[in-house]
Amino acid sequence: MKVGDIIRYIVENTLETGFPVPAPRDVAYRWALNRNIPRRGRVYLYTGALYQLVPYIDASVKSMERFGRLPGLGKAARLLSRTRLTGIAIRPRRELIEWSERVVASIASLAVRNVEGLAYLYEDDRYSGVLLYEIGAEDAFLKHASRVYAALKERGVEKLITIDPHTTYVMRDIYPKFIDGYDIDVVNYLEVMKDHQASRVLKGKVTIHDPCLYARTLNILEEPRRLLASLGYEIAEAKRSRENTYCCGGPVEAFSPKLSLAIARDRLRELASTATTIVTLCPICYLSLSRARENMSLNITIKDIAELLG
Amino acid sequence: MDADSMLNLVETIIDNEELQEALRRATAHAFESVKKILASNPQLMEMAREVKEAKERVLSHLDHYISMTVKKLEERKALVYLASSAAEARGIIGDIVGSGKTIVLSKSMSAEEIGLRRFLESRGNRVYETDLGQFLVQLEEGKPMHVTAPAVHMTKEKIAELVAEKLGANLSRQSSPEEIVAVVRRFLRKQFVNADIGISGANAIAADTGSIVILENEGNIRLVTGLPEKHIVVAGVEKIVPNLILAVKTAIVQAAFAGLYPPTYINIISGPSSTGDIEHKRVYGAHGPRELHVILLDNGRRKALSDERLREILRCVRCGRCLFECPVWGHLANHWGGNTYGGPMGILWTAVVEDKREAYPLTLLCLQCKRCSQVCPMSIPLAELIHDLRKEYVTKAYT
Repeated sequence: MKVGDIIRYIVENTLETGFPVPAPRDVAYRWALNRNIPRRGRVYLYTGALYQLVPYIDASVKSMERFGRLPGLGKAARLLSRTRLTGIAIRPRRELIEWSERVVASIASLAVRNVEGLAYLYEDDRYSGVLLYEIGAEDAFLKHASRVYAALKERGVEKLITIDPHTTYVMRDIYPKFIDGYDIDVVNYLEVMKDHQASRVLKGKVTIHDPCLYARTLNILEEPRRLLASLGYEIAEAKRSRENTYCCGGPVEAFSPKLSLAIARDRLRELASTATTIVTLCPICYLSLSRARENMSLNITIKDIAELLG
Repeated sequence: MDADSMLNLVETIIDNEELQEALRRATAHAFESVKKILASNPQLMEMAREVKEAKERVLSHLDHYISMTVKKLEERKALVYLASSAAEARGIIGDIVGSGKTIVLSKSMSAEEIGLRRFLESRGNRVYETDLGQFLVQLEEGKPMHVTAPAVHMTKEKIAELVAEKLGANLSRQSSPEEIVAVVRRFLRKQFVNADIGISGANAIAADTGSIVILENEGNIRLVTGLPEKHIVVAGVEKIVPNLILAVKTAIVQAAFAGLYPPTYINIISGPSSTGDIEHKRVYGAHGPRELHVILLDNGRRKALSDERLREILRCVRCGRCLFECPVWGHLANHWGGNTYGGPMGILWTAVVEDKREAYPLTLLCLQCKRCSQVCPMSIPLAELIHDLRKEYVTKAYT
C-alpha cells in the first residue's frame, strides 16, 4: 500500500460517508434501537462511533495486510456505503461487532444511571473525525468537524458525555482550536461515575492498560482504579502504568500493521506478566491487544472496563 | 527516503531478529537505569530545569553568545572558526588536517553530521573512531543507531563476530564482553600513541570562559584530546551555555538522562596545553596539544531559530532518553531517522540539519503516545513538534 493511497482513503471516506473506513450508515446508533433512551435532553451521550467502527477498522487493516489493498478504495467504497452493502466489500468479524455493541450499550446504561436527564443523539451521533486530525489532514478535519459541530448545535447540545479517549480528546481539546465559538462542555463518562455501593465481594486481580491519552493528556487515571476497586477488584499495576503507560501500537496501524503488531506484543507480554485479566479503556487498545494475542499463547482475558462495571 | 520506501524498510527491520533482540536487551536496561538515577538524585530534575532556562536564554540571544564565546576562546589561544554548513566545516577541518595523517576521533554527532570521518579518509588520512560503540559502527561501515549508544543495534554475539573478522582477533560468538573490549583496547592503544590529530565534539561550551566541556565514561576522550599535537573540536552553536558552571551542569544532566550517573569523567578544556616553568615564559604545547581548533557549526541551526516551533529542539542535550522510551524506536532504532539522527529527537534534528523534506515521511510512524515529551529533561514537546511536521507534510503532499 502506498502512503498517499492510505491517507486519501481515510480522507475521502470520512468526507463522503462520515466514517474513515467503509461501514454501514447506522453503525453508530444500531446498538441503541429499542433501548428507549430519550431523544431530547440537556446532556447528550456522544459515542463518536469509535467503538462501533472497530470491527470495520479491523477488517480494513486485515485486508491491507492480506491483499495489500484497502477494501473498496475510492468510488466503489462510496457507492457501497451508500447502499449499505459494505458487508460485501469487507468482512467485519461478528464477535467484534457483538463486542462493540455490547460495550457501548453497557457504557450507555452506566451513563444513564449516573447522569440525570441523559439523552442520546441517535443519527446525530456522528464520527468525530479524530483520525483526520491525528494523521495530520487538517483541512479535511476542519471540514468534517464543522459538519459535526453544526449537527450538534442544531440539536441544541450544551454538554456531551464521551466514552473513549480519542473522542474525548478531540472534542475537548481540539475542536475548540478549529471552531470559532465552540461552546460544548465535554465530560468523559468515567469522570461522572459514582462508586458502586454494592457489597465488595472480592473479585480477583486485574491490570489496567491506561490509554496514552487518558494518562498523559486528559488525566483520567484515578477514576478507573477507584471504580474497579469499589467493585472488589484488586488492581495490579504493570511495570509501565499510569502516566508512564506504554502504547498499544494502534495509532500506527494504518501505515504499518507489522510495526503496530510488534509494539502491541511488547505491551501484551508486559500486561500478561502482571495479571490474567487485562482491562482496556479504549476500543483501539482493545483491538490492538486482541490482535496481538492471536499469535501468542497466553492464558489471559482482555476486557473493556465497561464489561466489568456494567 | 520517501514515505513508501520507509514503510518497506520497516518490514525488513522488524523481520531482522538479531536487531530486534539487541534492541530488546538495550531498552529494557535503559528504562530501569534512568528511573533509578532520578529516584535517588532528585536534585537532577532541578538541575535540568536550570539548564533548560540557560539554553533558552542563549537561544534568544544566540549571536551575542556566539561572539562572546569566540572572544573568550581566542583569549584562551584557541583558533576559532564559524562554519555555516557541513561542507564549509569539512573544508576548514580538511585544511587544518591536510593528508597522510593519523587521526583519532572521539564520538561526536556533529562530526557524524558533517560526514567528517569519510571525508578525512577520502583525503588520504587514517581515521579511527575511539568510542567503542562508534568504533564498531565504523567497522560495520554503518551509522550510529543511538545518539549516545551507537552500537545499540548489535548483540554481543554479533559484535564478537565483527571484531574477529575486521581485526583478525581470536573471538567467537561465545566471547565475553570483557574479552571483546580487551581486543579493541589493545588495537586502539597504538592509534592513540601514533595519532597526529585528535578530534572531539563537545557537550557544552562556556561563553564566559571559552571552556569546552566533554563527558565520557570510556576514557578515550582524555586520550583523544590529550595525546596528539593538535586537538580539533567540532560542535553545534547550540552547545553554548552562559557560563562554566552551567556547562558542567549540562554535562551532568546529559549523563543522568542517558542512564550513566555519575559520569566517569568530565573533561574541561580551556585552550591548548602550556607551561610557564622555564623562566616564567608561557610555552604552548606541553604534554597535551599545542594547538586547539574550535569549529562552531551552524548547519541549519540559526535558520531553525526563526521557526517558532522547530527552534525548541535546539535546547536538546542529546541524552537520547526519548529514543529509549519510544515504542517505535524500540523496534527500528535510527533506521527511523535521517542520515545522522533518529527517533523522536532525531526526526526534529533531521529537519534542522538536513531538510524538513527529509524529516516529513518519518513523522508518519509516530504514535503520538507522548512518552518522549514526558521524559525530555529539556521539556521539549517532541511529539507535538512531530505532529506539526506531519500536518505540514500531509497538507503539502497528500491533500
